[in-house]
Amino acid sequence: MRTRGAIVTLAALAALATCQGAGGERPAIRFLEAPDTGGGWHEIVAAFEAANPDVDVDLVEGPPSTNTREEMYAAAFLAGAAYDVIYMDVPWVPKFAARGWLRPLDDLLPPDARDVFLPGDVAGSLYQSRLYRVPMQADAGMLYYRTDLVDHAPDTFADLEALARRAQQPPDRWGYVFQGLQYEGLVANFLEVLWGHGGDVFDESGRVVLDSPASVAALTWMAGLVGAIAPQGVTAYQEEEARQAFQEGRAVFMRNWPYAWTPLQADASPVRGRVGLARLPHAPGASSAAALGGWGFGISASTPHSDEAWRFVAFATAAAQQKTLHLRNGRIPTRRALFDDAEILARSPHYPRLLDVLLTARPRPLHPRYAEISDALQRHVSAALVGRETPADAVRSAAEAIRRIIEP
Amino acid sequence: MRSLVFLLPALALVGGLLGVPLALTLAGGLGHYGEALADSQLREAAVVTATFAAITVALEMTLGLLFALALDAAWRLRGPLRAVALLPWALPSAVMALSWRWIFNDTNGVATLLVQTIGLTDEPVAWLGRPGFAFAAIVVADVWKATPFVTIILLAGLQTIPRELHEAMSLDGGGAVRRFFWITLPLLRPAIALALSFRLIQAVGVFDLVWVMTGGGPADATRTVALYIYDVVFRYIRPDYGAAVTALVAGGLLATAAVAGVLARGRAFEERRA
Repeated sequence: MRTRGAIVTLAALAALATCQGAGGERPAIRFLEAPDTGGGWHEIVAAFEAANPDVDVDLVEGPPSTNTREEMYAAAFLAGAAYDVIYMDVPWVPKFAARGWLRPLDDLLPPDARDVFLPGDVAGSLYQSRLYRVPMQADAGMLYYRTDLVDHAPDTFADLEALARRAQQPPDRWGYVFQGLQYEGLVANFLEVLWGHGGDVFDESGRVVLDSPASVAALTWMAGLVGAIAPQGVTAYQEEEARQAFQEGRAVFMRNWPYAWTPLQADASPVRGRVGLARLPHAPGASSAAALGGWGFGISASTPHSDEAWRFVAFATAAAQQKTLHLRNGRIPTRRALFDDAEILARSPHYPRLLDVLLTARPRPLHPRYAEISDALQRHVSAALVGRETPADAVRSAAEAIRRIIEP
Repeated sequence: MRSLVFLLPALALVGGLLGVPLALTLAGGLGHYGEALADSQLREAAVVTATFAAITVALEMTLGLLFALALDAAWRLRGPLRAVALLPWALPSAVMALSWRWIFNDTNGVATLLVQTIGLTDEPVAWLGRPGFAFAAIVVADVWKATPFVTIILLAGLQTIPRELHEAMSLDGGGAVRRFFWITLPLLRPAIALALSFRLIQAVGVFDLVWVMTGGGPADATRTVALYIYDVVFRYIRPDYGAAVTALVAGGLLATAAVAGVLARGRAFEERRA
């Protein structure tokens, strides 16, 4: 009896495996994204399938956490059962490309066809001058300010500090909140201050130039904020802690991503109608820079359906679909032309100013071992913010650590 | 011989599910053990983890024993009290850690409100924003969660101790303190050993609580070994090196748990078996 049961089970399993292997007539293009809260992705997929009856698109709605989806993609690649299309954050591009997991897209989207996209998002899609991603969704750091407390947005770091000091009333209302916890967001915050001081982590030839006077000046400025114009607790803030403080009227300025605009302007928000947005400040003689956080589509190097995958990527990143994703899910488009679009402006009247910020966006260091580089930066920037290391020591240690990472 | 044949499926299952992956992990790490021993980040994480484990387990064992003694004495209320005491242990760590993150929020948190109410300070306190405070915060959260576990194990142990022993020693003039050290503690040793080794293993492997509350910061003050291994394997995509670190940590952990277990179990356990 027992043997027969086992045989039946095995047979059923075998049948199931065969079914999956055959997979039907039409090729299915699979990709993983966060839950489709507004329904925009489903609309795009349905429109594509209607126009391309010979292809199925399988949208896998994964967890909302970026890190978790990155691991799911990486695990799928390592297991040899990759997704056909990869919906990628900026730091994944070099990481996945360096391992040969992505198909270069230069033949499909040559350089002269890329100008329609925001320059930062294109730069964040390159690895060793080859294109691995088509930008779909833009994101960048920016400055929020209270229009009722300060009469203009600051240009320079000194300007921001002076305005904040004048308008703050600690501990009830601080001058400035940002993301100071030891995590990826801290790197974005630090790089923006570093770039704004004219410094960088790598030079064009890939050499580490982090141990520079600009870096020390940048980190000294950041560390000096804590307890002066920023609350002590800012060293444990992520995006939501900062937004909450700003929204409750407990901060004059805030560094955050564009997403915060919508909750700040919601009906129940205490600061509704009193929020301005601007480029991040810079040092005299340098220019504003925002950390790029955009998303886009790559194509797996091992997919047997790369033609179909490209058809879908080209379709999804076209203007009409980016507009759908904005209107349904609130995502920011990467095509410049959409920032003048009447329908988009009707829903998001602040977009011309947002475009001004997005034009300053720069990708974080594009290196396959970016995760380790980021951790070295996080460790030492955090140590400087909490006073465990002097800014000069922190910069030197971070630079040494990064050199060890990239020159094994 | 026949019995061996019957054992084969079970052996194959255990070997396949445990033995093969274990061997692969150990082999996969080969060539990286030297690197792991010289890794300064691993060393720092090991110090953080060992400190965390030592402090939390000591607190949990002490508090757990006190609560167990109290519950053992409170005969009538034991049922409902035991249910209440178990609540923290029953909550999922990640959910609990999220709550602690808001409790320790600098301006909106209950912890700040508390110290402000008793007049220690007027300012918001950056609980999770300073290295020492953040470490203390994860200790508090872990003790809150795991003490009930120790309590229940020790309470079960207490209830196996025959009342007659206490009565006999009372008749001989033994006071409560003497009875505790001569009867309760020795007979409780197996339960203590069990709770101790479980808690040690879990404290050294702590991940979710720290991950949600501090992410390892600030300045790596709460970066435990499990967080580091996670980074190595999933973020740096170096599974081979992660395997080496995991094997080293598991080895150290087994040795610690074994020593702690033997020390706590002591002679009482041997006598029982004999």
